[in-house]
Amino acid sequence: MGSYYNFKKVQVVPKAMDFIDIVLSKIQRKTPTVVHPNYQISRIRQFYMKKVKFGQDCFDEKLDQILGDFPKLDEIHPFYADLMNVLYDRDHYKLALGQISTCKHLIDSVAKDYARLLKFGDSLFRCKQLKKAALGRMCTIMKRQKDSLAYLEQVRQHLARLPSIDPNTRTLLVCGYPNVGKSSFMNKLTRAEVEVQPYAFTTKSLFVGHMDYKNLRWQVIDTPGILDHPLEQRNTIEMQSITALAHLRAAVLFFIDLSEQCGYTVAAQCNLFDSIKPLFANKPTLLVVNKIDAMRIDGLNETERAKFDGIIADDVTVCEMSTYTDEGVMECKKSACDKLLASRVEMKLKTNKINDVLQKLHLAEPVARDEKDRPVSIPENALNRPKYDRNDPNRRKLEVDLEVDGGGAGVFNVDLKKLYQFKNSEWKYDKIPEIMDGKNVADFFDEDIEARLDELEREEERLEREGFYDEEEQVEMDDSDEEVLMAAAKEVEKKRQLLIRESFMKKSKHRVILPQKFKKRTASEMASHFAERGVDIEDRARSLVRKRGRSASHGPADMNGSNAGISLAREQSLAAKRHKTTSKSRDRSTMGVKDEKQKAVSQKVLQFAQRPMNMMAKASESDRKILTKMPKHLFAGKRGNGSASHR
Amino acid sequence: MAVRTAFENSNDIGVFSRLTNSYCLVAIGGSENFYSVFESELADVIPVIHTSIAGTRIIGRLTVGNKRGLLVPNTTSDQELQHLRNSLPDAVRIQRIEERLSALGNVIACNDYVALVHPDIDRDTEEIIADVLGVEVFRQTVAENTLVGSFCTFSNQGGLVHPKTSIQDQDELSSLLQIPLVAGTVNRGSDMIGGGLVVNDWCAFAGLDTTSTEISVIESIFKLQNAQPTSLVGGMRDQLIDSFV
Repeated sequence: MGSYYNFKKVQVVPKAMDFIDIVLSKIQRKTPTVVHPNYQISRIRQFYMKKVKFGQDCFDEKLDQILGDFPKLDEIHPFYADLMNVLYDRDHYKLALGQISTCKHLIDSVAKDYARLLKFGDSLFRCKQLKKAALGRMCTIMKRQKDSLAYLEQVRQHLARLPSIDPNTRTLLVCGYPNVGKSSFMNKLTRAEVEVQPYAFTTKSLFVGHMDYKNLRWQVIDTPGILDHPLEQRNTIEMQSITALAHLRAAVLFFIDLSEQCGYTVAAQCNLFDSIKPLFANKPTLLVVNKIDAMRIDGLNETERAKFDGIIADDVTVCEMSTYTDEGVMECKKSACDKLLASRVEMKLKTNKINDVLQKLHLAEPVARDEKDRPVSIPENALNRPKYDRNDPNRRKLEVDLEVDGGGAGVFNVDLKKLYQFKNSEWKYDKIPEIMDGKNVADFFDEDIEARLDELEREEERLEREGFYDEEEQVEMDDSDEEVLMAAAKEVEKKRQLLIRESFMKKSKHRVILPQKFKKRTASEMASHFAERGVDIEDRARSLVRKRGRSASHGPADMNGSNAGISLAREQSLAAKRHKTTSKSRDRSTMGVKDEKQKAVSQKVLQFAQRPMNMMAKASESDRKILTKMPKHLFAGKRGNGSASHR
Repeated sequence: MAVRTAFENSNDIGVFSRLTNSYCLVAIGGSENFYSVFESELADVIPVIHTSIAGTRIIGRLTVGNKRGLLVPNTTSDQELQHLRNSLPDAVRIQRIEERLSALGNVIACNDYVALVHPDIDRDTEEIIADVLGVEVFRQTVAENTLVGSFCTFSNQGGLVHPKTSIQDQDELSSLLQIPLVAGTVNRGSDMIGGGLVVNDWCAFAGLDTTSTEISVIESIFKLQNAQPTSLVGGMRDQLIDSFV
């Protein structure tokens, strides 16, 4: 919460010479070092340009770090800005940082210039000289910052030791003449353990301590003593107190020593209060009279008393205490804290965000809107019933105990009807017919249903006796007629089933389809098929068949299957043979060539082309091969044994 | 007396139970642990009844009631209605309501004298609420939420409302209900007050995650164990303002 400054993170600022050493060795370490005059000139130029550029980057990085780390006086809390002004002198500080910034720009421009010059370097020597000049000039620029860097390092060390004061939190600010007991009070309140000595200006800077009060964290700041003289004459030590008084929104505890043991008169102390009074404006102020073990307010003589009363304004609370006897210390602390908290709350109540918190702290009390009384309704036995005690052996048996006894969760079935409130508790477990749409069977039950049932039964008996049912028994079917009818129906059903299945087979697309090549087809079938469509294939078919070489004389004489002159056995064997030849695929090696002769030639050419590959045992280009068995650079003895392996 | 409990690892106990001054309804769960927490506090004083509504366990969100009556949604089955009738005292009237906003527990919040209802609730329902529960009915919102039953809980002693309710709204609601109100949370900062807390005039049950600070607010505002609501806004006010603003 609040703004918090951590000046401890500022990095160390090296001295100018160290700075140069760091950068140069970094260049040496992190850029290539080997260059030969017989390299191409562009490569040589690039080599040296890299060094110059790298040097520039190193300087930039370091200087940026410094510029970024140090707090900017215009951006930090005015308390810190003023404190730094008092301690380190604002002008000096700004100048030092300004010089560092200028130095950075100079280095940049040097690097830029020499990089440009290097483009015109025509030999290794010239390039090297240019690089040397560039780095040399950078170092010279840096060397000139010796004083700034030393100053900044001192500032850094001091900054890191500043107490971390939060300017926005609840703060008690202790101030007054030297030796009036400010640090003793601080030690009573907090565990800061500030040095206490019986001489003036023991405390030379601000000290901060923390304490707890009302569940909150409080910051107590002990300031160096201040003397009563004009602002211009104040020294650095006093100015720190003044800065704290001026900028921190804190409760001010002005310490006054009436016993004059501190070495300053009451009048002088009162004058100081008057002169720094403007700094207390809008701050809760307490006038703390310390050392009452030695002198109380009542013990003052008239002139002093008049002087003392003169400084007590309306908004100043006076409290007496003694850090020696501890009398009044805690009361003083309480009144200071309460006063500060009250003023802070009052200020925060004016902000916009306050409503979010206030609405949660608000107790809405009702405003009576009528005369009606709205009493609470608590049954009599609710408040005085004995509290359930798990360890009581006579405790009530809870449903969970019954559950454990009844087999545990998941097994036990809770008795929902146990608590039913009926006139007669025996009714609890009576079976009730299921209710639907607000009614059950009982709603349809007539009071005289027994009588009506009786009447119906009597009528039935009467009818039976009168022979009302006898006639119907005579109506019978002829047995044989029925049999015939049943058989016919059976037959009809069978036929119907068959038809259904057939049509299903016909229509179904899911049945297994016989592949075309296994289908039995004859030439006559084909011929008739074509003939149906008006194509006469007789001649064409024969001419095609004849082309098939030597088998023509053995083949069927006629496509129609009338094999005159061939015995049945022969015909069958031929049929088998014919079937075989048609299913055989053609020889692809003869495709695309004119004749056997040409085919032989092409075969020869192919074999010739494959000869080298065959000679290398069929090795192809994707096969692994080792071209050089012993690469010279690996076996010349320049590398150690076993440092690397080729392959 | 405020008791912390959970229904099958859920802190939203207000979803699974409905507590009034004359009866307590508890959902039928996997085990009897939840039921027995209520039983140990309330048995012999008021009936603690297992029930389901429309076959679900979320009875606290579906029903609303006070010491005079109980309203159930139209999804309640006949068997459940009969079970409730058999279990509840004869003085408690039960009514099944034909209301479009059927999660009655979410849209209605009531004690024995006043009910806050969702602004869009049916006019007939409003009359039934007034008749059966014997209350004055006000159409209201809590912290600009229309689900008044989810975001506030009150008894005849006091009430807890949504933490973002403005001071003006709190004062207005307090005057309507004629009880002291405070804005607060349950279940470690949850604003679903109705889901995490069930109360009647002498005891309260809160979700298991409820912090001791929240419990102390609950006990003060509902005047449990002789606590008084005035103790709420004393001591820590300044410190809270100073550290949170």
